[in-house]
Amino acid sequence: MSQIGTARPRIDAPDKVTGATRFAGDGHVLGLLHARLLLSTEAHARIRGIDRDAALAAPGVVAVLVAADLPLESAGGDRTSEPLAREEIVFAGQPVAMVVAESAATAEDALELVSIDTEPLDAIVDVEHAMSPGAALARTATDDEAGDDLESIHAGVDKGGADEEEELSGNVLDTITRQEGDTAAAFESSDAVVEGTFRTPWVYQAYIEPQVATAWLEPSGTLVVSTSTQGSFVTRNALARAFGLQLDRVRVVAEPLGGAFGGKFALMEPLVAGATLALERPVRLSLTRTEDFQATNPASAQVTHLKVGARKDGTLTGIEARMIVDRGSNAGWGVEGITSLLVAGPYRWEARDLRGYGVQTNRFTFGAYRAPGAPTAAFAVESLLDELARKLDLDPFELRLKNAVVEGDIGVSGNPFPTIGTVQVLERLREHPLWAQRDSLPENEGIGLAAGYWPGGNEPASAVCRVDPDGTLTVVTSAVDMSGVSTGFVTIAAEAFGVSPDDVRVVTADTLTGPYAGASGGSKVTYTVGTAVLRAAEAARQKLLLAASEELEISPDDLEVVDGEVRAVGAPDRSISVEQIARNTLRFGGRNEPIEGHGGSAQIVGAPSVAAHLSHVRVDPETGEVELLRHVVAQDVGRALNPALVEGQMRGGATQGIGWALYEELAHDEDGRLVTGSFLTYAIPVAEQVPEIDTLIVEVPAPDGPYGAKGIGEAPVVAAPAAVANAVRAAAGVRMHELPMTAPRIWAALSSSAGEEA
Amino acid sequence: MPDLSLVVNGEPRSLEVEGRTLLVHALRDGLGLTGAHVGCDTSQCGACTVLVDGRAVKSCTVLALQAEGTEITTIEGLAQDDGQHPLQRAFVEHHGLQCGFCTPGMILTAHDLLSREPDPDDETIRRSLRGNYCRCTGYQTVVDSVRAAAAELAR
Amino acid sequence: MIPATLDYHRATSLEDAFEALAEPDARALAGGQSLLPMLKLRVARPSLLVDIGGLGLDAIELTGDELRIGALATWGALASAIELDSPGLAAVAECAAGIGDLQVRNRGTVGGSLAHADPASDLPAVVLALDARLELRSPDGERSVAAADFFRMPYTTALEERELIVAVVVPVPPSGSGSAYVSVEHPASGYALAGAAALVRSDATTSVAITGVGGRAVLLPEGGSLDGVEMYGDRFAPEEYKRHLATVVVGRALERATQRVEGAR
Repeated sequence: MSQIGTARPRIDAPDKVTGATRFAGDGHVLGLLHARLLLSTEAHARIRGIDRDAALAAPGVVAVLVAADLPLESAGGDRTSEPLAREEIVFAGQPVAMVVAESAATAEDALELVSIDTEPLDAIVDVEHAMSPGAALARTATDDEAGDDLESIHAGVDKGGADEEEELSGNVLDTITRQEGDTAAAFESSDAVVEGTFRTPWVYQAYIEPQVATAWLEPSGTLVVSTSTQGSFVTRNALARAFGLQLDRVRVVAEPLGGAFGGKFALMEPLVAGATLALERPVRLSLTRTEDFQATNPASAQVTHLKVGARKDGTLTGIEARMIVDRGSNAGWGVEGITSLLVAGPYRWEARDLRGYGVQTNRFTFGAYRAPGAPTAAFAVESLLDELARKLDLDPFELRLKNAVVEGDIGVSGNPFPTIGTVQVLERLREHPLWAQRDSLPENEGIGLAAGYWPGGNEPASAVCRVDPDGTLTVVTSAVDMSGVSTGFVTIAAEAFGVSPDDVRVVTADTLTGPYAGASGGSKVTYTVGTAVLRAAEAARQKLLLAASEELEISPDDLEVVDGEVRAVGAPDRSISVEQIARNTLRFGGRNEPIEGHGGSAQIVGAPSVAAHLSHVRVDPETGEVELLRHVVAQDVGRALNPALVEGQMRGGATQGIGWALYEELAHDEDGRLVTGSFLTYAIPVAEQVPEIDTLIVEVPAPDGPYGAKGIGEAPVVAAPAAVANAVRAAAGVRMHELPMTAPRIWAALSSSAGEEA
Repeated sequence: MPDLSLVVNGEPRSLEVEGRTLLVHALRDGLGLTGAHVGCDTSQCGACTVLVDGRAVKSCTVLALQAEGTEITTIEGLAQDDGQHPLQRAFVEHHGLQCGFCTPGMILTAHDLLSREPDPDDETIRRSLRGNYCRCTGYQTVVDSVRAAAAELAR
Repeated sequence: MIPATLDYHRATSLEDAFEALAEPDARALAGGQSLLPMLKLRVARPSLLVDIGGLGLDAIELTGDELRIGALATWGALASAIELDSPGLAAVAECAAGIGDLQVRNRGTVGGSLAHADPASDLPAVVLALDARLELRSPDGERSVAAADFFRMPYTTALEERELIVAVVVPVPPSGSGSAYVSVEHPASGYALAGAAALVRSDATTSVAITGVGGRAVLLPEGGSLDGVEMYGDRFAPEEYKRHLATVVVGRALERATQRVEGAR
């Protein structure tokens, strides 16, 4: 009986519900010291001096480290090679010093005794001002090394050619241009053209486990880092480069992850590694939530100027976009490439002129957050498609279906789309009974539709599958389990090998012992590592059949593996258990190789995933509050190996999108200081605010994925904010151009408009 | 340093704490019960929730010394024997968790709710989880899990 | 995250508490749901916390024409108290049930919250609208202060040095009355952006109080006019919005209280 498509609990659930799981901050280390960070309160300043004397004199304080104390090799303006500010502070919240003490309480007490002497510089906080020629620079020192590795982790995106014709300030670090056809002519030929400026704020990943890492030196000199991270190998490489260490001198162990969503890459590890190398003692840095709000790496704010056109039969004609991405103080990479690609959505256009600008300001270090650059792009284009549909009196599904990309269509990047389920997803969603109600709703209620996609990612991966003398399988990968992938590997290995999933365990190895896997992110783990697992299980199966064929004296081609037994095809009584074969093999004098397999993958073809949403809302016209009544998400997942895991990603992504839509904003004052720096002012959705979310799984198999599965973690957030915005438009008659759509903003929009059409 | 004596998961325990020691730190660092997690510093996320005399409480917002003489149940002590409490079983079977960091707190808050209201509707369940943040699940399977546990406990 | 160093004393009686509170920078600790968050962020640094949580002042009693709420009664106890199951007192339970969350309601106390006097807290509006009085005790004796005289400024009340609230006494509204509490909450903190408590009596006179919009909760003049009520806004909720929201919650509280009057007939 096939295991594919069975909903099974996560393999790590029993430990998690009993508190047995050891997260990165839970383990005990002998002689552990505790670190706390001193964060800058200024957004842009030059450091003149750091006064540590009083702190150093406090009992229990072991060190107060500054940049010069960390044995860093490479210079550079990124958080890996400059974990503590050297000379120039470039955002409020930037770590400047690190107190290391015998206890967390002592470290916190001592923190208050350290002071920084600075010379303030102009804080560049407004991204549009930052772009204009002559604007002061947000960073006066130039950086050498950029964080290219980090960009490549998150999506396979071709950035297009840069066009240098515009005059821009030195704060513009990157310009992306994607032009095709004549948009002016396209708009001329259109029957409707709509435009708008859409603003989205900085948004925080808000993983419930704050960032934490621990480092120590083994007696042999190996630096071990135990951390809450999305990628052990990528962290190891970053640390080795930053501190000039041989790769085999650094061992990174990824602990169970308490949520990450893109934000946990090499921020904590350079700090604890530097402290441990400097002090030769174990050090743990466990951020408080206040510190995590200020000093980590949330998602960029964006301003999107967008114009789209269509003919009255619904054909999309031209799209023109100017997308300004506030990278904050991240010199290494930004989402201007991804966002200017995804603003075209999963649609065909006759002409396009898309520009993305990555602009530095004195705000956070930008980081990735679930489908980076996508929700912002979808908010803009899906809002305007909604307006086009109104103007042309077209059904919103029809407008999208008419232009939906299919396999082979040439995308914005110039490459053809691989297998993609745009049409299937839209058609499935349209059948949901909620859509049929849209014109017969009570007053102040409305239903909105939006669609989006995520391109997915590729990265070579390896896996090992080992059979033990009890007949059970152990699958070994180095993939961090962020979205339940390990449970997916169980299904894959059980199916490929021929045993019950109850007899399969998955081990996440570290950089010393594990086969290679890239970071978990980019919606690629199931697709790439899953394929490696499949091949490893098949390779082990081959070994099994060889050994069994000797025992049974039947050719391997006439054998099958079913429910933990190797049997003759057509004569099931001639069999031997997997356990028996394994025991016979793994003994002194055994005649067959251990039943183990290694598998590798290196897909070239991508596996994009489309997700479309319906949002049903009620707007209270007196208060501006939005009540979510129901939500539906349909997603093309390739193949749902385990529907429970897939639905979990769909609901989780939709809920984060709800947060984007209605509640979440990291706001700065004009001096660049964070004013929404705790859960008292930064609202993530709670159970009461989230409606029932129906999930519609659409399967359009990915040819190169394990049993047709693909990476699906990011697509479900992409169009969720836009769906809510379109629902608000339907319910209240106002077109919101800024996220989040808070109650005061909706009320202000209602007050200033007369409810007329946008 | 003051002494603290209390019953934790059915066992009398005593440990030295400072006046300022929070209950969550006494449990995690003093007693090695790391199932209660610290997720915020403004007493909102609920990842640190434990039961104090049967009532769900954010252990980060209680001084350890305030708990002198009380009976504490942490997630590690919820199951009567080495098995699973129906709530734990339900969260596993109904997929009520992903990363699991918020899960002990969710389960213990649900325990408090069900001890007072054995058959809550979904709206009541969601309202009772106001002080338990989850970023992974979207809450629906959490609600399903609590409902399933309620049904099993009623049998 | 970790409070500054402090000493802890568990009071065995009110007298013992007063004696301990004589120390400079000593503060009384009840449920801790307002005070401990301040300590954890180090915006308050008492040198001594005097835990009065064990003093047993938590009874909720309906005696004749008064509802006595012990200062240490928790929100949870108040929300489910059958003594409040009448249209006239409905605002009290309604307010208590909406405060914080389940865990906070298990620990947070009425007296602790009123003494803390956060300008966006809910109960002040209810005690004002219901014309409650607060019974206070200090080393110098007892006194009673009307709710209308209790709330001064943000986080500042009529409490003197070493004075503790021991009970909140609410006169039972005349038969045929209805009361309600309606608030619009900040989606993150749950605190009131604007909250209104309304009492509608059988003779159709009303008593309305508002909270969350200014420096303290205020009782409105008869008729519920908001003219001249000092309000301020912030980045999330500008003053214009708050002003508008205030009228909305006042209107809704009066409407719900009136429905309770009619329901009782």
